[in-house]
Order: sequence, then C-alpha cells, then structure tokens
Amino acid sequence: MLTTLRYTLAQLRGQILGWGLGIAALGLILVPFYDVFMEQQADFMQMLESYPPEFLAFFGGDAASMATPGGYLGMYGFSMLPVIVGIFAVIVGSGLLASDEESGRLDLIVAHPASRAALFWGRLAGFVVSTVAILILGWLGFSVLLGGSSLDVSWGEMALPFLPVLAQVLIYGTLALLCSMLLPARRLAAMVAGLVMVASYFLSSMVTLNESLAAVARFLPYHYFQGSEAMNGLNLGWFLGLMAASAVLALLAWWRFQRRDIRVGGEGGWRLPSLTRGLRRRAEAQ
Amino acid sequence: MSEHIVLMTQGLRKSYGKLRALRGVDLEVYRGEIFGFLGPNGAGKTTTIRCLLDLIRPDGGTARVLGMDPQADPVAVQARTGYLPGELALNDNLTAERQLRFFADMRGGKVNWAFVQQLAERLELDLKRPIKNLSKGNKQKVGVIQALMHRPELLMLDEPTSGLDPLMQQEVLGLLREAKAEGSTVFFSSHIMSEVETVAERVAIIRQGKIAEVAATASLVDRGLRHATVRFKEAVDSHILDRVPGVQVLSRDDGLNVLLQIEGEMDELIKVLGSFPVSYLDTARPSLEEVFLAYYEAGQDREEAH
Repeated sequence: MLTTLRYTLAQLRGQILGWGLGIAALGLILVPFYDVFMEQQADFMQMLESYPPEFLAFFGGDAASMATPGGYLGMYGFSMLPVIVGIFAVIVGSGLLASDEESGRLDLIVAHPASRAALFWGRLAGFVVSTVAILILGWLGFSVLLGGSSLDVSWGEMALPFLPVLAQVLIYGTLALLCSMLLPARRLAAMVAGLVMVASYFLSSMVTLNESLAAVARFLPYHYFQGSEAMNGLNLGWFLGLMAASAVLALLAWWRFQRRDIRVGGEGGWRLPSLTRGLRRRAEAQ
Repeated sequence: MSEHIVLMTQGLRKSYGKLRALRGVDLEVYRGEIFGFLGPNGAGKTTTIRCLLDLIRPDGGTARVLGMDPQADPVAVQARTGYLPGELALNDNLTAERQLRFFADMRGGKVNWAFVQQLAERLELDLKRPIKNLSKGNKQKVGVIQALMHRPELLMLDEPTSGLDPLMQQEVLGLLREAKAEGSTVFFSSHIMSEVETVAERVAIIRQGKIAEVAATASLVDRGLRHATVRFKEAVDSHILDRVPGVQVLSRDDGLNVLLQIEGEMDELIKVLGSFPVSYLDTARPSLEEVFLAYYEAGQDREEAH
C-alpha cells in the first residue's frame, strides 16, 4: 500500500502544486484587500445592495454580513472553495483507478503481487493526502498576510473553515470514485459526480431565497457546508457526518473494485452491477 | 492436484454479456515445460490467462495455479508468476527504467537489478529513454523484461513476440528456453505457429472458448496431413496406391509422377512403393499452421453439419 501511495503522490505532485498555489494566491489577494474594502465600505455596501438578491445568494452571503471578517471571507473565498477544489476531486477521484483501466495499464498493475485492497486504499490515501496538501497550501496563502491585516483572525481560526472544505471535497472525490466503479466510463462518472456537486451548490445557495428548496437541498452535501462560519466554532456534527459519508462511499467503491473484472480493450465493457448475477452463479455452482 | 501440474483448469467458463468467451476450458500444464496456447483472435486465449491471474472472475469451473486458487489467494499466485499482457500499456511519462523500477517496487523490491540490465542489454533496450519515445517493439521489450525480472516459477505470456523484429523474436524465444532450463514453466499464447512449433513441447488449440486438442507438438504435426511426390523410373499402374489406408492420390502424370496426400503413418505406403521402381520420393512435413487450420476447418464442418 505504501508503494502505491508513494507513486500516487508522485503522479499528483503537479496537481498539488497547481491547485494549492492557486488557492494560496486567492488568499494572498483577499486578505490585504479586506483593508481596502473596509476603507471604502460605504461605496461597496451601496454597490452590493444594488445587486439582485439571487446574485448575493449565489455567492453565499448577504450585504449585511459582508462587513464582518467572516462574511467577507465567506463571500469572496470559502463559499466557492468546495466547488473549485471539488473540480480537482471529481477529476482525480473518477480517474483514481478508471484512468489506468481505460488506458489498459491497470491489467498489468493488478497482476503484480499487491492486493486489490492495497492498490485501492493506497491510491485513495494518495488522493486524501493530496487534498490535504492543497488545502494546507491554501491555508498558508490565506494566513501569511494576516499579521498586517485588520481582519483580526488568527492562523488557527483561519484553519477552521478549511476543515468543512476538506469534508466537502472528500465527499465529491469518493462519489466520483464510486461512480467510476459502477458506470461504464470514467467521463460518465466524472459527469455524474460533477453534476451532484454543482446541483448541490446551486440548490443550497438558493435556499435563502426559496425555502421550499430546503427539502431537496438537505440531501445534498453543500447544505452541510459551514464555510467561514467555522471560524466561530466548527460544527463537528456536520464535519464528522460528511467524513463518515465519504468513508461509506469509499467502502462501497472498494467493495465493488474487489469483485469486478479488470477491463482491457476488446474484452467487453463494464456492466452495471446485477443483483441477480451473484445468486445465479451460486445456483449454478450448486 | 499432482505436484508436477503447475496450472490446471476444469470446465472454466466466462461470458461477457451474451458472448460466451470460455465454454468449459480444461487444461493441464506440467512443471518445467514450455506450453503453447494456440488460437485465433477471440478464441479465448487472453480470457483464460486473465482468469488464471484473477484479473477477471470466471463464471464457473475450477482453476489452480501452482497449487493455489487464484481467486482465493491472488497475491501468492502473482508473486510467483510473471505476466505479459497481450495489450501492453505502459506509463508514457516514465522512462523505461522508472517503469521497471515501479514494477520491481510492486513486487516488494525483490528484483535483482543487475539481471534487469542484463536482459535490457540482450534485448538492446535503452532503459533511459522515455516510454513515449519507444517503438511498439521496444515497449514490448519492457513488457518481456518485467515478466522475467523476478525469475518467476511460472511465466504466463500473451503473445510475447508481438511487435518484435525476427531477430528479437528469436532472442525472446531464447530467453524462454533459458527460463525453462532454470526450472520455470512457460505458458504462452500465440497465433504465430512457427514460434510455437520452435519452442513449445506441448500445445493446446482453443477454438471458440473450448479446447479442441492438447498434444505434444511433434505428435500433433505427425498426425497431420503430408504431401508426398513419387517419381517412378518407368510408367507404372499406380492405382494400387488408391487402396492404401490413409493415402489419397491427388494427381498422376503419365504414370511417371504421382502426388499423394497421406494421413497418419507411412509404413503401409512405403511397403507398397517397394514393389515399384522408384527413382525419387519427397515428403513435405506439415507445419503446425496446417495442422491448426485443419482443426479449425474440421471444427467448422462439424458445426455446420449440426
């Protein structure tokens, strides 16, 4: 498993740097910009109040809360982070095994004496470590200029909103992984997981405008995204609940990977899992 | 399972949807032999090999590799086996050396790197070159090296010489003979009859997911149809040859030249020819390819009759 983890991290190192430094750059811009924002607060507030409420809801805030550090960071930074880093999660999660499988490489890899479990968990661990590394780089970018800013947020407080982001990203990544184990193609798996992610964001954001959407949104991950509010205290129930849901998705994907054929070109495509196939085989064996 | 049987399948079945790829494959491969697995594309060669390595799960039947059930203990089977897939795909972003080191690491580092370098030298493969810059043949060499590098007890090779030039094909076949000499068992699939005939002691012919024949290569060839040309010193009445069992006269030229087709042993024919003034006798040994095609044609005829 450690060998697989090492090679997965080596393969993802470019993505870790790219996504991590990108988020860090966002923080390096947002934090000093807060002082400018506060200096011209009246003008900004006037401008924000002129926006339609749907626009503000889309960015996860309202004009009144914008003047607070949490509201400012939430609206410009954290509200979108699950979707931004979620794109990384969906791409990597859907391709964690299916990418090598579609290219025909997995056949030879699985023929080596590392169990399927070791391969699966090694690669998943590589994905989790990469996500954490991206968020740590992002957190450093958001924190390094805090000393010279009037945000009045400590490094520790700034770390807290990254935990709900991590929970969101892991759930989209593991969902994409599970889809790649069930659906006939990696692209389809990425599309389904991406659709869930975007729908989750839209519906949950719009709940402030239309409360009837809450009935649907409560079944979607973003509904349980705390964002910058975590700086005032992390909602452990939501955080652990989402982490547990990710673990369940990962376990289902592993269960499926353990039992399925490794696909190579010309030998038939993946099939949707059949509940009756196992029973039929058992009956034939008897 | 007897200790000298390294690989065994009984009634192995596998379907992809409605396509029945394996319809009950029965095979036995003995320790220390080179065993050729013959069949055209789609006959079930690759599917059989992939079932034996737990890459795909059979729908029914039994498989044992080195005395173990590959589904129950795939890691133990894979640790003692070297595998070369028919459709080799490598990581284009790595050099040949990095790719081979990755495979070595996947085997827990239990690989003698000096042996890898020796294999690369023999196959004239530059390990420093990126995979993406390698030709199909050179990529195949990487595949051959990774299958051999840990000196496995059992080699399962799917079309091992695919994409190689004739010289390199001979080199790879030489490596297989050396592996056998060191005690390894070689099970390889191919549709190149000449190479199977050159190295394999026994062969199995698979046809539409079922084994059509398993035999020693030499006996399979001996059992095939031969052609013989007989030239007599003077014109003779050769119609007596029509009555020799297993002999069919294909052509006669003025009683001087006769072209025969012979099935089975030639003893009776030689005795009959002894009573004629023969000036020249030439027999052509059938190639395994001809034997193979005969099996396929016979099989198709039987199916059409049904």
